[in-house]
Amino acid sequence: MTETDQARYLYLIANTEEERSLGDVGLGDSPVYTIVFQDIAAVVHASKPEPEPAKNEEQAKQWILNHNYVIDKATENFNTVLPFSFGCLARGDDKTIKRWLQKNYGLYKRELERLKNSAEYSIQIFYDPKILEKQIIETIPELKEIDQKIETMPKGKAYIFKKKFELGLKQAVSDHLASMGREFGKLIKENSIQTIIEEKIPYVPEKYAGKKVMVAFSCLVAQENVDRFGQSLEKINKREEFAVRFTGPWAPFNFVDLKGNIEDET
Amino acid sequence: MPIEIDEKNLKKGLLGLVVALVEIITELLEKQALLRIENESLSDEEIERLGEALADLSEALETIKADNNIEDTVESVRCGLDEVVDDVVDKLMNPARWAKEVEKHDRNRPGEISLLDS
Repeated sequence: MTETDQARYLYLIANTEEERSLGDVGLGDSPVYTIVFQDIAAVVHASKPEPEPAKNEEQAKQWILNHNYVIDKATENFNTVLPFSFGCLARGDDKTIKRWLQKNYGLYKRELERLKNSAEYSIQIFYDPKILEKQIIETIPELKEIDQKIETMPKGKAYIFKKKFELGLKQAVSDHLASMGREFGKLIKENSIQTIIEEKIPYVPEKYAGKKVMVAFSCLVAQENVDRFGQSLEKINKREEFAVRFTGPWAPFNFVDLKGNIEDET
Repeated sequence: MPIEIDEKNLKKGLLGLVVALVEIITELLEKQALLRIENESLSDEEIERLGEALADLSEALETIKADNNIEDTVESVRCGLDEVVDDVVDKLMNPARWAKEVEKHDRNRPGEISLLDS
């Protein structure tokens, strides 16, 4: 069998000198193992050279969970890892992978060292629009006054002034959120090695129904800083109008920089 | 492959689009009315008349939405338009973002790592 007849499904690159099996924990219970070059290793399973599509949505979900399970398990075993996205297939055999590790050794080793003893955390800050609006109305006399006068106005005038009230309140909420966002961003940045503002939030748990997303970050946090970081976020969480969702540790998907040019976006 | 068109959905979508556009125009009219009130260029009577007309229009739009069950369609059209406008404005304000997006897209694409030529 030539090396082009084979492929290796890639999970991650880790700091280890040990050739070992991680068990039948891969996609479709495939045996997962390390391919070592010096003191780094690719964690893979042997695969056919052509990508095999999932039979149905359920199987696709299961494969994604398997992929993440391998990354979690490897993180437990090897500390920091450089994770690959789901579905990364490299054509070739173990020797090919070894040559590839050899060729890029400096790059991968540098990244593994840079990310050592740190992990990715996801932070989403939500606000309760009703509570926040109530608080803001109390602090802006002009809005409070319009709100009180509307009830006594005739229909047409009341409609127009209601719109004025709504627009003023919307602007005040937006200004307040921008200001709080800067404050929270500073707090988060102080406790992180790197931060990225997430523009899209794919999943919001039921617990936060009725609340709106204010801002979301992915953060690279040093292990020694995690407790302090959690305490700072808890202070925000205790405020009546805000709620914080803090999840992790995850493998540093958003912070692996194989081109050396990730910039801090905050 | 022929394109299948569901007549009911098409009607709903078109009506949703029209109502969404009328809503946006109504909001512009409301803002104009507020500006004129602030400039004190409208009498109390004119404010009342204008307010009543806008209130009636708003009520009529709500009735059309409820009768035709197109609340979600209108909401979705408006969200879509908001996103398009946000995106265009954002890119006009921050041209560097284009470059960043392209770079981010190209970065760390493991599927493109060439192994066999190494």
